Amino acid sequence: MSEPLLSVRDLKVTFTRQGAEPFHAVDGVSFDVRPGQTVGLVGESGCGKSVTSLAIMGLLPRRGNSVSGQVMFEGTDLLGLSDKQMRERRGRDLGMIFQDPLSSLNPVVSIGVQVAEVVQRHRQVSKSVAMEEARAMLDKVGIPDPRRRLREYPHQLSGGMRQRALIAMALACRPRLLIADEPTTALDVTIQAQILALLKDLVSESDTALVMITHDLGVVAGMCDDVNVLYGGRLVERNMRHDLFAAPAHPYTNGLLGSIPRLDSARGEPLDPIPGSVSDNLPWAESCAFAPRCPSAAPDCLASSPELVPHGGGGTDGEGALRCFHPVVPAEVAR
Amino acid sequence: MSSDTLLSVTGLKVHFPIKRGVVFDKTIGHVYAVDGVDLEIRRGETYGLVGESGCGKSTLGRAILRLEEITDGSVVFDGEDLAPLRGEALRRRRQDLQMVFQDPLSSLDPRQSVQSLLVEGMKAHGLTADKEATRARLRELMAAVGLPEAALSKYPHEFSGGQRQRIGIARALSVNPSLIVADEPVSALDVSVQAQVINLLESLQESLGLTFLVIAHDLAVVRHISDRVGVMYLGGLVEEADADSLYATPLHPYTRALMSAVPIPDPVVEDTREQILLTGDLPSPAAPPSGCRFHTRCPWKQAERCDTERPELRVVEIDGVPASHRVACHYAEQIASGKLQPHQVEPELVVPLEAEVPVDLGP
Amino acid sequence: MNLMSSKKERIDSLAASVAEVEVAEAGTVKDTGGESLIAGAWRRLRRNPIFLIGLTLTALFVLLAIISPWLAPWDPAAQPLIDKVERQSNPVPGPEPGHPLGGDNRGRDLLSRVLIGSQQTLVVGVVATLIGLSGGLVLGTVAGAFGGWADALVMRVVDVMLSIPGLLLAFSLAALAARPSQWTVIIAIAIVQIPIFARLLRGSMLAQRHSDHVLAARALGVRPSLIVMRHMLPNSMGPVIVQSTLVVATSIIDAAALSFLGLGNPDDRRPEWGQMLGASQQYLNEHPHLAFWPAGCIIVVALGFTLMGESLREALDPKTRR
Repeated sequence: MSEPLLSVRDLKVTFTRQGAEPFHAVDGVSFDVRPGQTVGLVGESGCGKSVTSLAIMGLLPRRGNSVSGQVMFEGTDLLGLSDKQMRERRGRDLGMIFQDPLSSLNPVVSIGVQVAEVVQRHRQVSKSVAMEEARAMLDKVGIPDPRRRLREYPHQLSGGMRQRALIAMALACRPRLLIADEPTTALDVTIQAQILALLKDLVSESDTALVMITHDLGVVAGMCDDVNVLYGGRLVERNMRHDLFAAPAHPYTNGLLGSIPRLDSARGEPLDPIPGSVSDNLPWAESCAFAPRCPSAAPDCLASSPELVPHGGGGTDGEGALRCFHPVVPAEVAR
Repeated sequence: MSSDTLLSVTGLKVHFPIKRGVVFDKTIGHVYAVDGVDLEIRRGETYGLVGESGCGKSTLGRAILRLEEITDGSVVFDGEDLAPLRGEALRRRRQDLQMVFQDPLSSLDPRQSVQSLLVEGMKAHGLTADKEATRARLRELMAAVGLPEAALSKYPHEFSGGQRQRIGIARALSVNPSLIVADEPVSALDVSVQAQVINLLESLQESLGLTFLVIAHDLAVVRHISDRVGVMYLGGLVEEADADSLYATPLHPYTRALMSAVPIPDPVVEDTREQILLTGDLPSPAAPPSGCRFHTRCPWKQAERCDTERPELRVVEIDGVPASHRVACHYAEQIASGKLQPHQVEPELVVPLEAEVPVDLGP
Repeated sequence: MNLMSSKKERIDSLAASVAEVEVAEAGTVKDTGGESLIAGAWRRLRRNPIFLIGLTLTALFVLLAIISPWLAPWDPAAQPLIDKVERQSNPVPGPEPGHPLGGDNRGRDLLSRVLIGSQQTLVVGVVATLIGLSGGLVLGTVAGAFGGWADALVMRVVDVMLSIPGLLLAFSLAALAARPSQWTVIIAIAIVQIPIFARLLRGSMLAQRHSDHVLAARALGVRPSLIVMRHMLPNSMGPVIVQSTLVVATSIIDAAALSFLGLGNPDDRRPEWGQMLGASQQYLNEHPHLAFWPAGCIIVVALGFTLMGESLREALDPKTRR
């Protein structure tokens, strides 16, 4: 197996606010991404998946938080880089796609100029060359009539086209790593299918590594090679996609799968929801955060904090991992 | 109309005027949000309305509740047409039709405690004459939605998203409605909490004999919760069927595309299934295409009829498709039999509505 | 520390009852709380030093206005120093025993006039704001609650009023009055504030009108008047309350400006700081202390109201919640 392109080790992001207890948004997350691989970070609101991506990109606000750990990108620790060095990396080596394409695009600058700017920032090319490059990019991401679109402004494009334009911007300099933070959440399903197909094609033909951040297990099932499930800022389960869905080991993963109505399963059965909400979490430091909502919680879950241990078959390190004292047994697997 | 029909919508149209002008607003066009919808909801069933953003499903739901001005058509509820009702008569009638909103926080007045939120509707319909009975009713409502009684004295911002949605449901129940329109009731919630609310809605329906109109973009949610499903595209129904029949044999090209686009949380299924990828975007509802609204994106579009004649919902004669399964497609039979094959579609450029019309389209 | 131990307790109690470890499906509802937004805002305000400074200054001002009759050594209209006033050589008597700030050009005790002046200043500031606020409330509510042509009509009037610079409008109104008095000043200032309040309220009312919770109330069948009074108005009042505190400050300053330009109350038996400032202008070069005391008071009081208003704005802003 090839060397990892991105290797995140023990990443911690702690938000500190005056008068409030420090909040561990990301609490020791580690994972690897190899070229041409799609790795999923999955979890619900507040699990730390978006903060992880912002920390990797160096986009967290400078005040009010502390970041520790390692983010190794081709042998360089990104966390150790200066702002200026990081700015150079972004766009050239690291691309990012956000959830809301409208607010991520500058409303008063035409699409063409926005894409060309990215090209010019990282490569010494003339304006016309950059513009031609931008046209080619728009064409590549499936925007019809790209020459005309170059002159148009974000509000003149539909939601799906905006997201394509954003992908074109992120890919303009052919980054080695692309981070997509809920790239299709704001879009309709038919448009989502278009965008996901586009991302899949782009990744497979260019050997780009893709980190896919999503709450949608359906998207994960179709896109990701490796899946990392996050809960309350910590990784609770990691596995290869097929293994994870066939045999979820963490009760949270299993609970998520039991919560979603599936289009292809029998109707009439009530769903099997996870009780409570994230606000019921316990602190990881002294217990399992998920214990209060967990169907298989036992006294030891409340008394000590489970470690992440190797588990099952595949995964980024050639092994899956699990953070649970009482893994799901096959008989309990949802559906 | 049969006696077990609770709600019957006929020829419903909701058109929003597009206004422009400096001193005097001039109407320069219309957004055809809902443009000719017929549907019937039987007593005690759950009717699911599915479609993508901009298809008019929310507007349809609000028009049924008379929260949106009806341009044309009738909404007959329990034998009475709601469309001509005004003022006090309409206000009284609202007791029977309630709504559950998408965003549970914004739909609860932040300044009111849960108790006063729940009592408000009851008071409006004179259900609070007896203090003891009111208190008992409040306890009952909280129990019904699975919240502790202590929650009555708290304020919306003190609850989690799922709990707020439960409060929203309790408020809808407070006036003893017979129809509840739930507009995207779970899409703002976390996945694990969505299932709680879906289960709650189902169990309430069973115990209280409610009739539901559930509006959602998520086909899997709609199919799970509904007895019958209507698929909307650009202001009109394109297909209507029992939930199982719709999934087993989707007849309309749009339904097929929609269904194939829904991701399924199972890699084995995801790796093997065929997707019908639609090209292009939803046309602007201010200038809907002629004929079949879907013809601009339809992989099965034919040279005749599709762009000239708007298809009506009709029963088709296909093996295994019951008479309750209706579709608005001229070529449904030929597509189902495989006689017609899909072809490539060149995407048309679509200018989003907000770029054309700098006005807000109401809530 | 406290929080830590409560966490521990929670874990212990959970561990003790492992059999029923699961949370109710809806999740736990915190035992504490039941705190309304207003109560929450007040809790935050109480810990905000800026608000406390503003509140203290304002409270001192109001207190001064109330007890000034007992504090002031002289009647503000009496002229105990009239003998010392020499038109040419000594138009403004300086400090002397019994008159720590000296007198004004008519031989009245300056300290007493500054102290008593707080009363009229408070009246001008508060009454002008109240009139402006109530006018604005009525117009804003009509426009925001009904919309349509009522809105169009009200807003056109408001636009016209807003297109005239505020002070200029106040000058014209004050100059129109046949006999200038304290009331012409108050009304001139109040009228300038009406469109500002109306616009502000109408804006947030319109936003409320399209909000989900108002739609929910409509769907429930709540009477329209009740929707306006219980849902739309209370939720729109935040910015209006903030504006009111700021307007008290500007009203006092505007009153001073009117007096300074000779459009104020000519009857100076009951002094007002703005009016005193206006009267002091001809002695500004030789006897700046005559202007210093009323001007200083106005600045401090305006600062008090402004600090209070700004911190209120912060506390009521939903974005800063939690």
